[in-house]
Amino acid sequence: MNLKTFRGGIHPPERKEATCDLPIEHVPTPASVVIHLTQAVGAQNQPLVKIGDRVLKGQKIGDVDACPAAAVHASITGIVKKIEPAPQSNLRDGMAIFIEADGTDETAYMPPLDPFACSREEAIKRLRDAGIVGMGGASFPTDVKLAPPADKPVDTIIANGAECEPYLTIDYRTMLETPAVVVEGLAMAAHILGADKAIIAIESNKADALPGIQREIPAHAHGVPMEAVLVATKYPQGGEKMLIKAITNREVPSHGLPFDVGVIVQNVGTLVAISEAFIQGKPLIERGFTVSGEACRTPKNLYAPIGTVIGSLIPDVIQVSDDLRKVIFGGPMMGVAVPTLQTPIAKGTSGVLFFNTAEATQYEERQCIRCGRCADACPVRLMPMLMNAAIAIKDLDRADALGLIDCFECGACSYSCPARIPLTQRFRLGKDLLRNQRAKEARHGK
Amino acid sequence: MENKPRLVLSAAPHIFTRCDIQKTMGMVIIALLPALAGGVYFFGPRVLAVAAVSIVTAVASEFVFRKALRRETHIKDLSAVVTGLLLTLILPPSSPLWMAAVGAACAIIVAKELFGGLGGNFANPALVGRGILLMSWPAFMTRWSPLVNAATVDATTTATPLGILKLGGALADVMKSLGVSGKPALYLQMFLGNRSGSIGETSALLLLVGAAFLVITHVIDLRTPVAFIATTFVTSWLFGRDPLFSVLAGGILLGAFFMATDYVTTPVTPAGKWIFGMGAGLITVLIRQLGNFPEGVTYGILFMNVVTPYLDMIVPHKFGYVKPRKVRA
Repeated sequence: MNLKTFRGGIHPPERKEATCDLPIEHVPTPASVVIHLTQAVGAQNQPLVKIGDRVLKGQKIGDVDACPAAAVHASITGIVKKIEPAPQSNLRDGMAIFIEADGTDETAYMPPLDPFACSREEAIKRLRDAGIVGMGGASFPTDVKLAPPADKPVDTIIANGAECEPYLTIDYRTMLETPAVVVEGLAMAAHILGADKAIIAIESNKADALPGIQREIPAHAHGVPMEAVLVATKYPQGGEKMLIKAITNREVPSHGLPFDVGVIVQNVGTLVAISEAFIQGKPLIERGFTVSGEACRTPKNLYAPIGTVIGSLIPDVIQVSDDLRKVIFGGPMMGVAVPTLQTPIAKGTSGVLFFNTAEATQYEERQCIRCGRCADACPVRLMPMLMNAAIAIKDLDRADALGLIDCFECGACSYSCPARIPLTQRFRLGKDLLRNQRAKEARHGK
Repeated sequence: MENKPRLVLSAAPHIFTRCDIQKTMGMVIIALLPALAGGVYFFGPRVLAVAAVSIVTAVASEFVFRKALRRETHIKDLSAVVTGLLLTLILPPSSPLWMAAVGAACAIIVAKELFGGLGGNFANPALVGRGILLMSWPAFMTRWSPLVNAATVDATTTATPLGILKLGGALADVMKSLGVSGKPALYLQMFLGNRSGSIGETSALLLLVGAAFLVITHVIDLRTPVAFIATTFVTSWLFGRDPLFSVLAGGILLGAFFMATDYVTTPVTPAGKWIFGMGAGLITVLIRQLGNFPEGVTYGILFMNVVTPYLDMIVPHKFGYVKPRKVRA
């Protein structure tokens, strides 16, 4: 079978078997949560509550009058105990609101809203008020994404069910368990965008999620032309640009965004959040995520309030082995290793991986042997070994010409390097150096 | 919590392929073993002594040199073993053992370690080793021992097929020296490798078996060898030589699949790989046809090694650099 895909990419071990057959399990309401004020790409939120206030589940507790930004909401009902910096899954350790549960489950959701009947502005405002962000990991505010500039018409919306990161199975379980909600959310997003068609893309290793989705399309697509398709199982198939290339054969231009080629991509978890925001009036206050890894004795798919401290689930919900050496928020390819179990689940947390000593092995870096595997792996057809050499001699102009800024840090080059060169990390650093150099040049009027 | 070891922090990605330098080099060694076995079969067990001296000297040179410079040693990565083995395969079967040792030491120290070790060298170490030996002891390097089970029994030395042509002989003379008649029989004899030549270069069959293994396991890219062989075929034919004979003779296949695919000293860019192969093939044929030496693979590849940095400038078309669709004015 010739499945749609892109050129390049890698085939890491999938490691999904530990959790792919386990239904999503709702965790009991935690005794406390730590909700970071800013969890999205964009402006910093300000707290809307004070220490000692009682807040209701769903109540907005942080926002800012800026764009892009996404509001945050209380995910449990209780008392605000502290407002101070706390460990964060993006390592920024920003300001967070600590809420202690008071044992009640009063909610303060918004009234339901019919996105097919209300105006486009009302629908966009609802997404903004619900604090919805891309839940695949990038955390970009969804209201901004679904309102592209007028001169960039969008004809296609793609639901991203690729879930190409190893270990993670939460999107798969979501599609398997609540296909109607996914289809409904996609129809809403397509309607808001004014897209002509909607496509649900699923990697071929999750093909058994396809029939359920297809079954729900007639009843829940609200007249939006919609189809579900399989794409090749390959990392990073779920990258926005890669998925667009595979489905539509359009290449998002360098320095461009998906709407430049008339496409918008939304993660399936985000679509569920969109549906809930309209039908239940529920803001983004809970999410599903996979817990797995060799040091996790109880691999699971969990559903928990945002702000749930991962350590608070140990040992009642999750058991970890004594050989725990690394905790990763997100997938193993693009996720972030965190220094403490006191890190809370954020809107962008698709998984928490517990690695043992063997999995956390640090390799000795060797000189590049120019084998070319990084170039074969690069999904945007860059020459990582040449960019690395250019950065090493501080020739940032050369690195720029080689496409340094086009690197989206998928990690495929680092994964495949036999000399164990941390290429992705070098490029992250190189981009910072390049931006500094460009800023300096601008100041000196070059 | 406090007495537990602290969590490891590192940048993404957090998983890595199991294929490291050592495994890659190990695959190359496996792929070269059929050719070495062919050398033993055609030229006798003394070939194993040459291989042992060459490999041991290569590894020892790397170890001692790096120790002397107080640098980390990496002999476990097996790259010196590959160099020693490759050098063996491109030496004449009758090479004195001391000469193999000198060649291996030169390959490692002059070509590789002086330029910073694996990854820093600009020219193929084994070929540099052979080049130094060829200039220093040309007599030993062009003395070809007869085959163990040769059809001709007259002498203690013999000539390679390319050597016969260089001395003004015709293809018929080559056939006579190999004891075959007719082109098909000549091709078959040369494909199987029952001819004089360097230890590991004679059998196209055994080289292709090793090359197929490296292609299937994605260790080598086919672009360079295909360009190398095709260019040799076409330009030999343009010069009026038998093209198939030209590809089977000398070290074309060994060079194309195992030297022109050396990671460090050949281009990383797809266009660069094509040009490298074509250039190496062209120079090889020019040396064979117009130069003093009967064979030119060594210098063909070494020359292209030198221009590799320029070939690396031809980078491929990047993702997202499509021409924007024409907008109506």
